[in-house]
Amino acid sequence: MTLAILLVLLGAAGCFAYRLGRGPSLADRIIAVDGLLVTGVAAIATYAMRTGNGSFVPVAVIVSLVGFVSTAIVARYIEGRDV
Amino acid sequence: MIAELIVLGGAILILLAGIGVVRFDDALARMHALTKATTLGLLLVLLGAAIDLHDPNDITSLILAAALQVLTSPVSAHLIGRATYRARSIDARVDVVDELDAPNA
Repeated sequence: MTLAILLVLLGAAGCFAYRLGRGPSLADRIIAVDGLLVTGVAAIATYAMRTGNGSFVPVAVIVSLVGFVSTAIVARYIEGRDV
Repeated sequence: MIAELIVLGGAILILLAGIGVVRFDDALARMHALTKATTLGLLLVLLGAAIDLHDPNDITSLILAAALQVLTSPVSAHLIGRATYRARSIDARVDVVDELDAPNA
């Protein structure tokens, strides 16, 4: 069951990676990075379920925080530019 | 079993967000699909994992991650939307009223 969940998350990560590569604008790429980080947090939680070992769960908190900070910084950076 | 079904539902929501990000043809529409679907999807995933795990330390970490997601996801969506609007990269059609462009805004 957890393997199926991880495969679904892998499909989602593939979609986000496609958008990260294609762009076309910088906003599209940062949206894709945000999605990839959310998928990573979900994968960490699923991994903790699969192994019954919660050692990596605090990493999910850190990744979530880093994702927000990176999104905010890049959004401020691209503001006012012509994409 | 219940926990795994909840996590699978959340993962499917995240996959739907990915499909939306691939298929929509506007940065604002992509941001919309990503923000709404991944907030609920990630909440479901973390809820299912919190049901399945037993250590209180792990459960509180998962609750913290869920709270951070709920707090930060709207803010980052707002920042992306504002940056996209100010970069003038939305194709405003003729029949669209741009309410942010009002004189007293």
